[in-house]
Amino acid sequence: MKRRFAVLISMLMAVGLLAACGTQAPASAPTSAGNAAPGTGAASSKTVTIGFSASLTGASNVESTRQKNGLQLWMDQVNARGGVALADGSKVTFTAKSYDDESNKDRVQELYARLINDDKADFLISPYGSGPTDAAAVIAEQYGKIMITTGAASDSTYSKGYTLVYQMYTPASRYLTGALDALAQAKPDAKKLAVVHENDKFSTDVSNALKSYAEGKGYQIVLFEGYDTSTTDFGPIINKIQQAQPDAILGGGHFQDGTTLSKQLYEKKLSTQFLALLVAPPEPKFAELGAAALGVVGPSQWEPAATYNADAAKSAGIEWYGPTVAEFVKAYKDAYGEEPSYHAAGGYAAGMILGKALEQAGTLDTPKVKATLDGLDLLNFFGHIKFNTSNAHGLQIGHDMVYIQWQRGDGDKPTKQIIWPAAATTAKLTIPLR
Amino acid sequence: MKDRPSFASEAITAEREASVKLGLLRRSPGLWLTLAIALVVGLYPALTGNVAVREVVFTMLLSVALASSLNILLGYTGYVSFGHVVFFGLGGYVGMFLLSRGMGLWLAAPAGGLASGVLAFLLGKAILRLRGAYFALATIGINEAMRAFINNFAPFGGPTGISLNFQIYTGYGGAGQALWLTYYVLLGLAIVSLVLSYLVKTSKFGLGLMAIREDEDAAEVMGVITPNAKTWAYILSAIIPGIVGALFFFKNGNIEPNDAFRLHFSIEMLVMVMLGGQGTVLGPMLGAAGYQGLRGFLVTSPLFKDVQLAVAGGLLLLIVLFIPAGAVGWLRQHFPRLRALLP
Repeated sequence: MKRRFAVLISMLMAVGLLAACGTQAPASAPTSAGNAAPGTGAASSKTVTIGFSASLTGASNVESTRQKNGLQLWMDQVNARGGVALADGSKVTFTAKSYDDESNKDRVQELYARLINDDKADFLISPYGSGPTDAAAVIAEQYGKIMITTGAASDSTYSKGYTLVYQMYTPASRYLTGALDALAQAKPDAKKLAVVHENDKFSTDVSNALKSYAEGKGYQIVLFEGYDTSTTDFGPIINKIQQAQPDAILGGGHFQDGTTLSKQLYEKKLSTQFLALLVAPPEPKFAELGAAALGVVGPSQWEPAATYNADAAKSAGIEWYGPTVAEFVKAYKDAYGEEPSYHAAGGYAAGMILGKALEQAGTLDTPKVKATLDGLDLLNFFGHIKFNTSNAHGLQIGHDMVYIQWQRGDGDKPTKQIIWPAAATTAKLTIPLR
Repeated sequence: MKDRPSFASEAITAEREASVKLGLLRRSPGLWLTLAIALVVGLYPALTGNVAVREVVFTMLLSVALASSLNILLGYTGYVSFGHVVFFGLGGYVGMFLLSRGMGLWLAAPAGGLASGVLAFLLGKAILRLRGAYFALATIGINEAMRAFINNFAPFGGPTGISLNFQIYTGYGGAGQALWLTYYVLLGLAIVSLVLSYLVKTSKFGLGLMAIREDEDAAEVMGVITPNAKTWAYILSAIIPGIVGALFFFKNGNIEPNDAFRLHFSIEMLVMVMLGGQGTVLGPMLGAAGYQGLRGFLVTSPLFKDVQLAVAGGLLLLIVLFIPAGAVGWLRQHFPRLRALLP
């Protein structure tokens, strides 16, 4: 009896482990790196190893795989061109070395230590997610390796005294502030805000930053409420919103809760002027909500319809670098058969910025590459890139979110339009939203 | 010994009888073998100075300390705790809180252990009255409750957690030095957990625990004060995970509720104990090192890295199906002469 119970428990645990494995991401990246050092003479070509961990399994595997695909695409392109030229006339090509971190940070330090020591990675890209990135940053800094972070928006990583960690994403503190700017421009008399957010690190950071930004601008926060990650019934929260009668609702968290909240807000016919939620709205799948998706605003690190271009760079007085938005979108579609998401764009841009820094520094020497990155100020298909070099070293200060709104398109189908920042808009903000 | 009731595990009697007259060193060759293995593996990275290997062994030692502690409850007392990671997480949180307030690691880490011990004491009083599956379910509930509580507890940063400034490592001789330091402390802790496990197993107290495992009612009739014994077992199994938690998150530099109270990790701890052989001293060590070593190998092996979790899951399933007593348990069953060497 006892033994049977033990066997039963053991089997349950084994099944549990298997179930926790999540789905295996198809790790299909067209790899041409590694053998792509064309015959430029052995003496004048080097191979740089870029090390990173990716979440091939676990909760972030979709986003992380796209990020990895983006990076791989850049690497394939640059290798196909023969690599990046250095000052001494040699050319460097790139090869990637990566391991699966299972979407958690248990092994991240182990993997990064291995990448640096055993695999001799010259430069690092961050894992996906702020938690794992924090853990990896300790190792990168300890070994004096430059790490470009992408897929990690947390601000706090950069207030910890690192000097070699550089952020590609707009930090969490600015995720929703632009939505408020858009609202302020379209409807200056809307002053009452309700902030409802998922109770996790990312969404809470975003909401706290939004709150202080809004209060600084004279907004009145009539409701500030967190909800649990696994919430499926937003009835009580919606009732509170109804009582508070806000002009605008901001907040959200991730895909699941964001779509559910949007749907239930629509079903309860809550009248509000403006609704902006994190993460969920930019996802193409959000359109499946149909009428409930209409009018919802969401921040995105990047959109295929973004209009960053060389002219905009010229008028801002900064350098333009890399492919155009259209070139990137086409190359990505050709390689992977799907429209690039901002995760993919971030991965590509992270590699590209690293390549640009090597090219401009003309060397692989870390202090010189670091100095180049510190001084970088340029526009590319992903947006404006400039790093903080003082109190929060490495924090992204150039890049801005783009804000999308689902608007009524052909045959009432929701279509995604960029409504902010002014320089990138494809349509005007519809307000009130429905 | 002779007048003791016979529910004592057969192994102990064999070991005891084989070596009553000799000193501690010769009396317990199994313990020394266990410690020697731990030391050799643990000192290998230090001797070679290979940091990548150190990180691999760090993960192993972490698991050894956790599994060995869990074994006191699971293996000796027979109580399945699905939520043991709660002690790791709470210790981590208390340690990080104190570290971020400027306290040194030497006080913060033991404080983490102490907090976990206190929690175990309070919980023990409440839920150790439950038996079997009911206890197992309650432990899951406690882990989830603790996660929800910390998620809403502002002094611990709520959902944002606690981060340490990189500068904190300079107080320990720089980041490189600090990571070596945590490694040595962890090695020490792993060894302490093994010695503790051995001492519990060979003590009268441990005998009482094993009596509870075999038949709780009978144990009570024979004079074991079961509520006290169980609470002590629970506390002993909680303290080291608390200290280890503080160390782990100190090394990581930040802590968040979802990292600290990951139920999946709890299940992995159970797997390690069962793989190696529950109720033995050597078993959890081998199970933990073997499990983490296997996972570490698969995740970095060019052949398996894309399917590593599926392979690991399949192997585990085979092992639990065919060697349910765990590696050490199986050896003890089939080679009785080796028992003195396999505590």
